[in-house]
Amino acid sequence: MSLFNNKLSGILICILYLQPAFAGDPDYSVAAIPAALKEKAHAIKRMEELVVNVSSLSEKKIVHRYAITVLDASGDKYAKVIDYYDKLRSIRSISGTLYDAAGKQLKRLKQSDVEDLSGVGSSLMSDDRIKRHSFYYTVYPYTVEYEIEVKENNTFTFPEWIPQEDEPFSVEKSKLVVNVPLDFTLRYQSFHYKGEPVITTDKDTRTYSWEVKDLTVLPDERFVTDWHRRTAAVLLAPADFEIQRYKGSMNTWEEMSRFMYTLNQGRDQLPEAVKQTVHQLTDGLSREEKITKLYHYLQQHTRYVSVQLGIGGWQTFDANYVAANGYGDCKALSNYMCSLLKEAGLPAFCVLVYGGDNEITFEEGFPSNQFNHVIACVPGTKDTTWLECTSTTLPAGYLSSFTANRPVLIASEKGSKLVHTPAYSMEQNLQLRRITANINDNGDMLLNAVTHYTGMQQDDLQGRLHQLSREKQLEILKKDLSLPSYDVNKYECKELAEQLPAIDEQLEISAHNYASISGKRMFIVPNLLNKTTIRPDADVPRLSDILLRSSYRDADTVLITVPEGYMPESVPQSVSLKSTFGNYSCQATVTGNVITYIRNVSIKEGLYPATSFPELASFYGAMYKADRAKLVLVRN
Amino acid sequence: MHHIKSVAFPMHLLFGCLITFTAFSQDKDKVKFGRIDPKDFEKTKFELDTSAHAVVIADVGTSEFEMERDHFEIRFKRTCRVKIVDKNGYDAATVEIPLFKSGQSEERLLNLKASSYNLENGKVVETRMESKSVFTDQLKKDYLEKKFTLPAVKEGTIIEYSYLVSSPFYFNLQPWAFQGEYPCLWSEYSVTIPEYFDFIFLRQGYQQFTMNGEKSYDRKTYNISYTNNGGAGPTEHGSASASVTTSHWITKDVPALKEQEFTTTLRNHISKIEFQLATIRYPDSPLKPVLSTWPKLFEELDKDEDFGLTLDKNNGYLGDVVDGLTAGLTSDTAKARRIYNYVRQNFACTSHSGLYLTKSLKTVFSSHNGNETDINLLLVAMLRRAKLDAAPVILSTRQHGVTLEMYPLVNRFNYTIASVNTTTGTYFMDASYFYLGFGRLDGSCYNGHARIMTPEIPAISFEPDSLVEKKSTYVMLMGENGAIKGSFQQMPTYFESCKMRAQIKDKGKEEYFKSISRDFTSETVISNTAIEDLDDYEVPVKVKYDFEMKPEADGMLYINPMFSEARRENPFKSQERLYPVEMPFTVDDVYTMSLTIPEGYEVEELPKPAIVKLNETDGVFQYLIQKNENQIQLRSRVKLERATFAPAEYNLLRDFFDMVVKKQAEQIVLKKTK
Repeated sequence: MSLFNNKLSGILICILYLQPAFAGDPDYSVAAIPAALKEKAHAIKRMEELVVNVSSLSEKKIVHRYAITVLDASGDKYAKVIDYYDKLRSIRSISGTLYDAAGKQLKRLKQSDVEDLSGVGSSLMSDDRIKRHSFYYTVYPYTVEYEIEVKENNTFTFPEWIPQEDEPFSVEKSKLVVNVPLDFTLRYQSFHYKGEPVITTDKDTRTYSWEVKDLTVLPDERFVTDWHRRTAAVLLAPADFEIQRYKGSMNTWEEMSRFMYTLNQGRDQLPEAVKQTVHQLTDGLSREEKITKLYHYLQQHTRYVSVQLGIGGWQTFDANYVAANGYGDCKALSNYMCSLLKEAGLPAFCVLVYGGDNEITFEEGFPSNQFNHVIACVPGTKDTTWLECTSTTLPAGYLSSFTANRPVLIASEKGSKLVHTPAYSMEQNLQLRRITANINDNGDMLLNAVTHYTGMQQDDLQGRLHQLSREKQLEILKKDLSLPSYDVNKYECKELAEQLPAIDEQLEISAHNYASISGKRMFIVPNLLNKTTIRPDADVPRLSDILLRSSYRDADTVLITVPEGYMPESVPQSVSLKSTFGNYSCQATVTGNVITYIRNVSIKEGLYPATSFPELASFYGAMYKADRAKLVLVRN
Repeated sequence: MHHIKSVAFPMHLLFGCLITFTAFSQDKDKVKFGRIDPKDFEKTKFELDTSAHAVVIADVGTSEFEMERDHFEIRFKRTCRVKIVDKNGYDAATVEIPLFKSGQSEERLLNLKASSYNLENGKVVETRMESKSVFTDQLKKDYLEKKFTLPAVKEGTIIEYSYLVSSPFYFNLQPWAFQGEYPCLWSEYSVTIPEYFDFIFLRQGYQQFTMNGEKSYDRKTYNISYTNNGGAGPTEHGSASASVTTSHWITKDVPALKEQEFTTTLRNHISKIEFQLATIRYPDSPLKPVLSTWPKLFEELDKDEDFGLTLDKNNGYLGDVVDGLTAGLTSDTAKARRIYNYVRQNFACTSHSGLYLTKSLKTVFSSHNGNETDINLLLVAMLRRAKLDAAPVILSTRQHGVTLEMYPLVNRFNYTIASVNTTTGTYFMDASYFYLGFGRLDGSCYNGHARIMTPEIPAISFEPDSLVEKKSTYVMLMGENGAIKGSFQQMPTYFESCKMRAQIKDKGKEEYFKSISRDFTSETVISNTAIEDLDDYEVPVKVKYDFEMKPEADGMLYINPMFSEARRENPFKSQERLYPVEMPFTVDDVYTMSLTIPEGYEVEELPKPAIVKLNETDGVFQYLIQKNENQIQLRSRVKLERATFAPAEYNLLRDFFDMVVKKQAEQIVLKKTK
């Protein structure tokens, strides 16, 4: 680097530092922020304009302009830009400016500072790439202003507008503007938004606009619904759309169902050899037997490998590809499974779903692309059979907590309404445990636990058994057990091949010093392995409704034998709680040198009003306390 | 100052000096691509004994030097055969091959073949991978990955792949790991090096070798282009016959190595061999040393524009700021402290790894961010601008692995900090963590050997043994109106204080004390809370609060005198240990409690005092408790003198902490007087 250059840029920097904000520039000084918005906030959105310009059925431009003031280090994450692009979406430009607390401009984004990274992630391959930028500034407060221009060559997807990005994040003002040609129908649904959008029309454009001001921070709450149901939000969708020369519409779920069918039509041709195998395996069998046979065949001969290329990851690799390679992603494997079933004479369909153990607030009244996963289904005269084709281990017909109990869309030629995947009831999601334990004079304990898990209560364990090494399984087991010091002598799990999956687990543990001994007294917490960790804060006012996602029941019976000669001095009182959300009881008794502890918990899934939160807090609070109650024995 | 100490558990470093000639056994042809025997599908001892999810049947590699037009390239060939035992081992069927590029030179992947084999009706059925199944993922501008996954993989499938990477970076002779995530029945590597290159061999690990670098000699003809007179002369072409030496390593039946708690990095412990080019001697040319000496390494880095070049030059732009910061100060230490704090507070660290500047110091200065080297070299430049005796210090962080005092290998270093000599002493600084006070380093830097970048490039050592994390807690308890009232005062360890500062910065004091009140097992109200020295980052904080709890049971009072300060779990959870325990620091944790027995109560039972020693002098646990009239005094101290322990000492260490957990759980029992 030459001396000349150094000098020159030195001068430029000085000028930038000294430059006052121009008249008419936005005022990003921190002093201008209303006090109510700063309260408990790490970051504040000072302004935002999200402008979507639909120019034709196959193209739209999105200009996103916003400024965020970061008050402290915890707010840094909101000041970073991470945006993806692929064949359907290109990032045309990113510009940005950094301001100090007084609103003086410090710096502008240089294009060379924008990182360009692979977006493949855990997939084997995808078209995704990522642009990333940050000013990495640490003198608080500071403000970043960005303008990002994106072009998307489709009208299938639309951005959502949720000005408030997180709980400790407030919004001064934000605006959504959508411009569409007069012949384009825009559909929308709003949440926590009073009134209707302002709609204006000129000679060839119709403009919709929404605006919010002064959104204060939200409390960080547990058991909540999706974020878009908790703050001001607008979801957008087209009526008619085009994506890579495929045209469709989504006014109704039926239309969307037909489109998804069309997109993947004709990709179900199996190689001759596989057809023969299907017939060898299934000819002459009943419907149920055919499904089970073919599902097992799929599980033994394929595995999940994500390759996301073309049409935004919505068009599947064909059945031939899966047959040849023995792998595919969710679409490819589901499509392949449907092909196998059809060959065996059973009509089968690919099904669109939003998969996930959480975040499943689905807007049934708003037909739009709310999906991220594909499964298969086989309609029957009585019941529909559902198949998760990316799992090589689930029993046929069982959907885990990843896809159970939610609206899904069947892709069919005639079009289908939304249907619901099965919900597993409290009595299907069980954890039944019986423990026998022996405590010696040193307080060391030998514990034998036999646990029967069913339904969704076995999902996590089932996943671990098949995806993790035994060392990792033991590591997780050790993290879950809160015992002072122990060795696992034996850990065996047996999966029971039943329609509703179940696992029998046998666990033997030597726990050193489980009981604390002080002189002639022994202190024992009789709840050995199943203490709730949930302890909601009752003092904080609750805003969001309470969502308990699944029903389940736990039953524990614990028998602890202690050395002869100990008498109970203090035994925890029995607790019995009945609440809207479920019931809890526990009871410890001492007979001779045996402690018997019985604990029952049942939880009812549901969406409960925010006003019932004090009851929830006291329910879990009492449970938390009772689970940790100590029993005191004294030696004669 | 720190002194160099001998490392407690030296890496098993051997050097290629064993000159023996061994005829290669027939085993060399053991793995011929595509030759799969139905016997290969039989269960190996690893599947039977250790529940391995995949077993590497053979992994065989060679590196050889070839001429490519006017330069040497290294041809690295590898054939790998793996049995997928069960579904948990499917990951082994996906392979990623990294390829690098620098300017016009780039590594090329050639001759990639991959097949899966399944045993069907006693016959081996092969499924070949199609070439279009190989993907290219451009991760960065100069770094890409070729990725593929094998077809037709089921439980029991044997997969096999072979490829050649031709690399123009002939100084980077590929290392070889004999140990990995899956057990390996046969791992074999040979390197054939022409006499022109002299490499140092660095070997580590705890495994027995079947062949251990045995050498064989041969001759080979190369067509070489070279320049005489150290590059000043004309370019010559010609062929030369050179003697070549092949070194050969084989291991058999190596188990997988799994990471356990308290490990710097598995890279320090797996069985592997690495190479470092020491000298080049082309025909009729003078010997060209490549491996540096320490003073030379200093010179190179000092002149490197990505390291030392601009530390003292062209930094007029720092003038105003440095002058402003040091105005009015006379003491060197005060100036250094002021400049350090300025850099620490005003520059954001984007990455805590990297030995080189990612941009010019001037850009670092104007952009207010950079990696740790950017920030700490800027700090050195500013200190020097203030006419202070400052220098960079290079080291390798714990996760990055050890550096060797014997070999000046620059690529073993990944981190730069700053040092300054003042009238009051030498201070080491790292301005890349906002919470580190002047003269403090992060625990990750305590990894032994480091070098101060002055012309003599002296060695220093940051030993975890020398880093004592001290903590002291004092609790006073008394009974009042049926409640237990207490006052709590604590000076947590320095690193705990750092964590607290970060936590409080994020969530606030109120939330911090709320979490403390939740740590008590019974319902407890906390008042008069205070944290001192929250903003003085050079010292630990002091936490104070009063608490009040309502005992439940009538008649008896059970009090754990250590409350939530008791260690509730033994940190050493694994049953056995195959390599050293490497803790990041030593501990000295003192807890004192004094209880005034509430009126109307008497002592029913007290825990017994105890003293436990670890290896006589390596550590001690004291639990002293006594009663004087209506006072109960407790003093608990856990002190370790060392941070690193041998595998053979693991059980002692584990038992020691078992004892700590046991005693600290004990209770004082008071009962109502009649």
